[in-house]
Amino acid sequence: MTRETLEVDVLIVGGGPAGLSAAIRLSQLAKARGGELLSIAVLEKARDPGAHLLSGAVLDLSALKDLLPEYQALGAPMLAPVGRERVYFLTEHRALRAPVIPPPLANHGNALISLSQFGRWLAAQAEAAGVDLFTGFAGQEVLFDGTRVLGVRTGDRGRGRHGETKANFEPGVDIHAKVTIFCDGVRGNLTKQLRRQLAIGAGREPEQFAIGIKELWEVPEGRIETGTVIHTLGHPLRHEEFGGGFVYALPDRLVSLGLVAGLDYHDPLFDPHLAFNRFKRHPLLARLLDGGRLVRYGAKALPEGGWNTVPRVHADGALIAGDAGNFVNSVRLKGIHLAMRTGMLAAETAFDALAAGDTSAGGLAAYQTRLEASAVRRELEPVRSVHQAFGYGLVPGLLFAGAAMVTRGRWLGDLHAAPGHTKMRTLRWYYGIEIARATASRDLAPDRVLTFDKVTNVHYAGTAHDEDQPVHLLVHTDVCTSICGPEYGHPCTRFCPANVYEIVREPGGETRLQINASNCVHCKTCDIMDPYGVITWVPPEGGGGPQYTGM
Amino acid sequence: MILVVAEQRGGTLNRASWEAVACAQQAGAGEPLTILVPGGGDAARVLAEAGAGEVLSIEHGALAAYSPDVQVAAVAQAIAQTTPRLVVMAHTYQARDYAPMLAARLRAPLLADVIGVKGAGVGATFLRPMFQGKLVAEVSPQGSGPAIVSCQIGAFRADAVAKGTPAPARVLTVTLDTPSRQTVEAPFQQARQAVDLGQAERIVAVGRGIKAQDQIAVAERLAAAMGAEMAASRPICDNGWLPMDRQVGSSGQTVAPKLYVALGISGAIQHLVGMKGSRTIVAINKDADAPIFEVADYGIVGDLFEIVPALTAELEKPR
Repeated sequence: MTRETLEVDVLIVGGGPAGLSAAIRLSQLAKARGGELLSIAVLEKARDPGAHLLSGAVLDLSALKDLLPEYQALGAPMLAPVGRERVYFLTEHRALRAPVIPPPLANHGNALISLSQFGRWLAAQAEAAGVDLFTGFAGQEVLFDGTRVLGVRTGDRGRGRHGETKANFEPGVDIHAKVTIFCDGVRGNLTKQLRRQLAIGAGREPEQFAIGIKELWEVPEGRIETGTVIHTLGHPLRHEEFGGGFVYALPDRLVSLGLVAGLDYHDPLFDPHLAFNRFKRHPLLARLLDGGRLVRYGAKALPEGGWNTVPRVHADGALIAGDAGNFVNSVRLKGIHLAMRTGMLAAETAFDALAAGDTSAGGLAAYQTRLEASAVRRELEPVRSVHQAFGYGLVPGLLFAGAAMVTRGRWLGDLHAAPGHTKMRTLRWYYGIEIARATASRDLAPDRVLTFDKVTNVHYAGTAHDEDQPVHLLVHTDVCTSICGPEYGHPCTRFCPANVYEIVREPGGETRLQINASNCVHCKTCDIMDPYGVITWVPPEGGGGPQYTGM
Repeated sequence: MILVVAEQRGGTLNRASWEAVACAQQAGAGEPLTILVPGGGDAARVLAEAGAGEVLSIEHGALAAYSPDVQVAAVAQAIAQTTPRLVVMAHTYQARDYAPMLAARLRAPLLADVIGVKGAGVGATFLRPMFQGKLVAEVSPQGSGPAIVSCQIGAFRADAVAKGTPAPARVLTVTLDTPSRQTVEAPFQQARQAVDLGQAERIVAVGRGIKAQDQIAVAERLAAAMGAEMAASRPICDNGWLPMDRQVGSSGQTVAPKLYVALGISGAIQHLVGMKGSRTIVAINKDADAPIFEVADYGIVGDLFEIVPALTAELEKPR
C-alpha cells in the first residue's frame, strides 16, 4: 500500500484551545519575523472545528488577552460576563448556601462561553492566519525514528467492520514535521503512545481524572439571571467521591449544567450518569429546569491530577500542551486558559528551535524552562496535591485545599495517589454479604422529562459514526464474563455515559459484552477507569463523533 | 413556452424527468411545452409521448459523459435558441451540480428543490422548503428572462403527466468547441443499497424483543402475509441477524410507509427518528412503558410470539 506523505514545519495534533492557540501564536511569530512563513498544519478528528469540544465553561481571559488582545473586535463569542456567584452544599433535599465564595471559585471578571463555539472561532482565526486546518482527520499513531518523533499517521478511511477495505478506501496519510505539538486532549491516544514508548511519565505522580457530564437546557423566562454561576458540593456524591455540580446561566434562557465526578471512586456500582440524574432531581435543579427542555448532552473526562502529574512535555521532535499534558487547575475548575497558555509556550519554543535549527529534545527543553517561569506553574504548583488530598475524603480534602490556599502550597508536602482505576473495590469488598441487595437496588427510572436514559441522552449528543467500520474500543483481554462480572459487576456498563458497553444475555443464558461503538462520545472514561486496564480507545474514522454545537 | 430539460445517462432516461414534465404541465396550464434532451438517444424517443409540442435533442460527442461546463454550454445555447419563459428540470444530483452555474451564466433566477406550484401561468408561485423543511416558502421569479425551476424528486407524480400524440423530434445544433476544463472519471458507486426501504408501503420491523436469529422467521412470515418489507432496529443489524441496509433509524434509513409494524422494539429515540413519519404505527411489546407506545397508533402489550403467529394466521386465511 502506498501512502501519501506530507511535509510541514510544525504539525499540531488536536484542534482544541491548546492546539489552535499554538497555531495562532506560531503564525504570529513567523509574521513578525518576516521572510519565509512556516507551514503549520492542525489535525482535528471532528468534521467541523469545535464539534468535539465540551466544557462548562467559565473562561479565565488572561491567556486570550495575551494571544489576541483585540479579541473583542475579532468577534470572540463571549456569552456573558460572570455575574452573581453562589456555592451550595447539597444534602438530598436541601441546599445550604456558603456564606462566602471560596477564593478559587470566585469568577468575577471571567466570561461564560460555549467552548465548542469558542473553538470554532479560534479555528477561524487560525485559518485566517494561514494555518492549514485538516478537520475530519484523526491522528492514529505517532511515527518514530528511534526515539525521534517524525510526525503522525492519520487514520484510514473506508475500512469495513472487519478491517476489510471498502469501495471508498483511502489509506491514512503520513504527516512529517520538524516539530509535532501534541494537543490531543485528556488521555490523548497519541500522548498515551508517547508515554509508553518514551516513558515521559517516569518519575511523575500517577495521572488522576474525573468525568464531567453536561446538559444544555432551555428554561422558562425569568428562572435565573444571565451570568449566574452556581457550584455545588455534596449530593449526589458521597463523602468518599470527589466532585461537584455546576450551573451556568447563559443568555437566551439557556442553562448549562453538569456534574463532575472523580474517576477514583471505590463503589464498583457507581454510575456517573445516574448520579447526574440524581443531581437534576435535587429541588434546587428540578425547580430551575421545570417546564424547560433538554437541548444537548455530552460527557468528557478531565485531567485532575495537577502539576505533579504533568509528564515530561518535550521529547525529540515533540512537545505536549493542554489537557494532554494534564494542565488543569482542579481547584479553580479551569483548564482552557492553561491549555491556551501552554499551547502558546509550546509554539514559542518550537519557533525558536526551528530558527536555531535544533528541534531535538535538547533544543526543545526550553519549553520546560518557559513553563516553570510562567503563570502556569505559579497557578498549578501551590495546589499540586489538592486532588490527591480528596482521596482521603471530602472533609480532609477541603481542609487541605484551604491550607494550600493560605500557605500558597509552600509548607505542604507532596501527597501521593494511586491511579484512580486501582481504587475501585470489588463487589465483595465494598458490599460484603449485601452484594445481592446492592446489585438489585434500582434507582428511579428516568421520567423522560427531567431525567433520561443513556441512549436518549446519546441522541442529544448528536454523535454519529459510520456503522460499517472497525470497533474503535479495543478490549484486549476478554475478562468480562469470566472475572469482571463476578468481581466488579461489569463497571464499564456504568461508567460509560453513552451506553457503549452492554452485557447481552444470549438465548442460551450465557452473557457477552456488546460494544455499541457508534454511541461513543469520545470522553475516554473507559480507557481510564476500567479496573483491569484492558480497554484502549483509538480514534474511529475521521469525522465521526459527537456534535457539541453550543456546548 | 416552457422548456423541460430531461436527463439521461447512456441513452437511458432518468425517470425523474417525467416528474419535471408533470411540474411543467401544472405550472403552464396548457402553455406549450418543449422537451430538451441533452445527449439525445433513446431518451428523446421515450419522451415523445410526454404531451410536448416538440422534443429537441442535442447530439454531440462531448455530451456522451456528463461534465458540468459542457452541459451548461449546451443548455444555455438551447435556451438562447428557444427563449422559454420557464426552464424546468428534476432536482437530481446532476441538476444540483450544474443548475446554479447555468443560472449564474444566464443571470436567471433559480428556484431550486420546488415541491409544489400554486396557481398556473405567468402569476404562478412556487413552493420550496426552507430551514430543513420547517417552513415552506412561496416564491415567484422576478425579471424578464427565463427562470429556472428544479423540482424535488417525488414531489410531482410521473403518472400525472397528460400524455399526447407523439411530438415531432428535432436535432438542435450547438457549438461546443471550447474543450471542457474538467475530466470526467468513472462514476463513484457507493456500496449498493440492496433494498430501498424508503419506497416500501408496509414494513415489519423487529427489535431486540425477537431474542434470537432463528425467531426472525416469525416476523418474516407476518411480513410475507402482509406483503411487507422487513426492517430492524440497530441491535438486530449489529448482530448480523439482518443485513445493515435493513436498519431503520438515525444511523440507518428513514422510512415513512403507510403501515409500520414494530415487533419487540422499545423505541429508542434513535429508532423513532427513522420511522415516526409512518402513517400508521402498530407496536407490539411486552413492556407497557416502552417509549414506542408514545408514537404508536395501535399498541399491543404482550408477547409477540403469541400475537404475531395469531395475526399471521388471520392474514393467511383465504378471503
